[in-house]
Amino acid sequence: MEKPTVSRRRELLRFWLRLICFALLTAAMLTYATYVLTPKHDYGICSMINLYRQEPGSIDVLAVGTSLTYAGVNTNVLWEEYGIAAYDLCSAEQPFWVSYYAIREALKTQHPQVILLDAKPSIYTKDYSPRGRIILSTYGIAGPANRIGAILACAETPQDALGFILGLPEVHSNYQHMSLSDFRIPPDNGGRGDAWKGFIEMDEVEPHERPSLVFSSVRRNMNARQEEYVRRIFELAQAEGIEVMLLGIPNPDYAHDHMYYNALWSIAEEYGISGINYNDPSLRFGLRYSSDFADWQHLNVKGSVTFSRRLGEDLMERYDLPDRRGDARYDSYADSAAQWYAQYPMYMSEKKEGAKTQ
Amino acid sequence: MSILSLEFLLLAACTVLLYYLLPLRIRWAVLLVASAVYVGLSGWHSAAHLTVVALLMWGGGLLLERKRSRLLLALLVGLDMSAMLLLKYAPIAQELLVPVGLSYFTFQSAGYLVDVYSGKAQAQKNPLRAWLFVGYFPQLAQGPISSWKELGPQLMTGHRLEPEQFISGFTLLLWGYFKKLVIADRLAATTDALLGGGSLPGWFVLGGVVLYTVRLYMDFSGGMDAVRGLSRMMGVELPENFRRPFFATSVADYWRRWHITLGKWFRAYMLYPLTTSRAGIALGRLASKSLGKRTGRAVPSALATLLVFLLIGLWHAANWNAVIYGAYFGLVMASSMLLEPVWKTTRATLRLPQGGFMTPLRIVRTLGLILLAQYFAFTASPQQSLALLGQTLAPWSFEGCAAQLTAVMAPLEWLIAGAGCAAVLVVDGLCERKVDVCTRLARAPIALCWPVLLALILVIAVFGMYGTGYNGADFLYTQF
Repeated sequence: MEKPTVSRRRELLRFWLRLICFALLTAAMLTYATYVLTPKHDYGICSMINLYRQEPGSIDVLAVGTSLTYAGVNTNVLWEEYGIAAYDLCSAEQPFWVSYYAIREALKTQHPQVILLDAKPSIYTKDYSPRGRIILSTYGIAGPANRIGAILACAETPQDALGFILGLPEVHSNYQHMSLSDFRIPPDNGGRGDAWKGFIEMDEVEPHERPSLVFSSVRRNMNARQEEYVRRIFELAQAEGIEVMLLGIPNPDYAHDHMYYNALWSIAEEYGISGINYNDPSLRFGLRYSSDFADWQHLNVKGSVTFSRRLGEDLMERYDLPDRRGDARYDSYADSAAQWYAQYPMYMSEKKEGAKTQ
Repeated sequence: MSILSLEFLLLAACTVLLYYLLPLRIRWAVLLVASAVYVGLSGWHSAAHLTVVALLMWGGGLLLERKRSRLLLALLVGLDMSAMLLLKYAPIAQELLVPVGLSYFTFQSAGYLVDVYSGKAQAQKNPLRAWLFVGYFPQLAQGPISSWKELGPQLMTGHRLEPEQFISGFTLLLWGYFKKLVIADRLAATTDALLGGGSLPGWFVLGGVVLYTVRLYMDFSGGMDAVRGLSRMMGVELPENFRRPFFATSVADYWRRWHITLGKWFRAYMLYPLTTSRAGIALGRLASKSLGKRTGRAVPSALATLLVFLLIGLWHAANWNAVIYGAYFGLVMASSMLLEPVWKTTRATLRLPQGGFMTPLRIVRTLGLILLAQYFAFTASPQQSLALLGQTLAPWSFEGCAAQLTAVMAPLEWLIAGAGCAAVLVVDGLCERKVDVCTRLARAPIALCWPVLLALILVIAVFGMYGTGYNGADFLYTQF
């Protein structure tokens, strides 16, 4: 090293300190720019960001999975009718490898009694996630280890992952679609507020016929990476003492999925884990294929209410879940349900009528 | 490895940090290792070819210093150049992998051999130092082409950290990325629209050619600014390659401002040797007898200029468009040399001033001449160029003009590109008035310097064309 004079040493020290400050300032600026430019969709990023705003240890049932889950598992119905504190931690087409890291992240602040695991990803055949889905599934995760783990698991090659790890390279061109609300920290969850529990209602109605299928035991092997990560989820849950319940959410396009679901159920059996496939025609719980779906695979609002009522019943029967209604720590659940039922009062009255006839 | 890649930025950051953390006497070795990493990551063929050229240059230099033989020089330069010519132009070699920065390091090594032969440079005894001279990583991919005198001693001497120089270099680096990522790559869509074929209105074609020229400048000069900035951060000042070419008042002036180091190389190693050769002097005498002393003396220079520009054209590509491009500039420059006495007389007769109102007129005239050549710069064939020229000269119709522009780029993108060009014009204008913007900013108080730098970083990070969704062109001049 050169041997500088005292004044030179002081000058250099001042320079390096300034450089470090400048670098920190730049990093802070770019981190905020990444946040602003990240599309804050409720069907991905926001459900993860909003999880951090939940009271620690307040979630009893964590529903993890794809769009079928966030459109189907109606947390407001579960609360209003059973007092179950449930949260949907989902993103569109979320594979098991993202679910694994999302659960790990959630377990930092929450310790649910039950994880509802959407079976849908068992049918996905690709080893990686498409670009848009990587952003949706991982940009909400704040923990660096889980975020990087999820991104590496999603990316086709490690080189592809670098841009997502840095964040900004993959979302910077979103400036064309920005609005003033994008600058707000934390995000307003698409106007849904803090109390929102991850459920997304789909209002459309698309009539379908119940899929004609024979509930055979034929299996089709899952994608090896999906299998690897679903096993990891099972092992993680067992290590944490959390029950896992596999969830086959009704969808009209189910016939193709059945063989994959068989494979998933038999893997789960190895761990002593079971679940309920609500596509089973023998489970008659009042779902109408002519009016309860929004499109070719998602339940609409009416469908979600019907399905969630049955799901709540099954959850209460299978697990010793507490009724949290009236507990001040769970006010946000009551708020969420109140807001939701104010928007969809017809489902409240249906419930009351049902209660009367019982 | 592109200088736009995250890998390059990481390599550059580590190199700068290590450069100043290690002792002065081994700082050249940091540059050597970084260059070796860069070349290694660019592919084995690049590393192998560069090493062979560096060894040839090192050994040749030592031999030439011991025995100044013209034959030996011709042999060494011939060997050096033939590999480049083979890889660039032989159809069979198209299958081979062309090393990164092939012609830049070939020219640089050939220049070194000539300099050693002519006694302008001392032969380097250390082969690793010789390798560093040709393989110095910031300038390898697209130049500038430096002589040993300009670059060699700077590389081999360790530089102390000078905060002002560091910040000035960092500013220049950012400015280069701004020009390339925010402007040049955004304007790529306009060139694609021109080459898309179909019947286009004249204003659209002319506008497209103008924007292609702007894009080319932003792309190439942006790359140069970035590598010069990075180099300056380590105390190594690379020669300037662009000096506001659109402020040129003549075509000759333009070529003294555009790709300066290439022009300098051709002038030093081709033009001057040709004009000062015995044949050149004899031709000058002969021409003076028939054309008069002043015009006759310009004949050898005019012919040599024509030849040099033909070669510059062919350096760009081995096709008819490149020949026309080179010949056009050669003819314009040669004729202006031969007609210089006539112009002088006319100017004197009409009492036209050198500066004043004539300067903008001369700039516009020069831009017109340059634009004409650009019709042949980006097209695949002379037919295509002539078709575009024909479309430009046909009557213009502005019907549906807004729709045509938005089909090329969204209005917001036009706005960003326009604002970027305006910023470059302002900074270039200041530089033209001898204001060194980068150094001024480095000397400015933090309250001014930091917000400007942070804003520049933010603009590049947000509005730059990069990332997975973007599949843009690499630097246009890395293909050479």
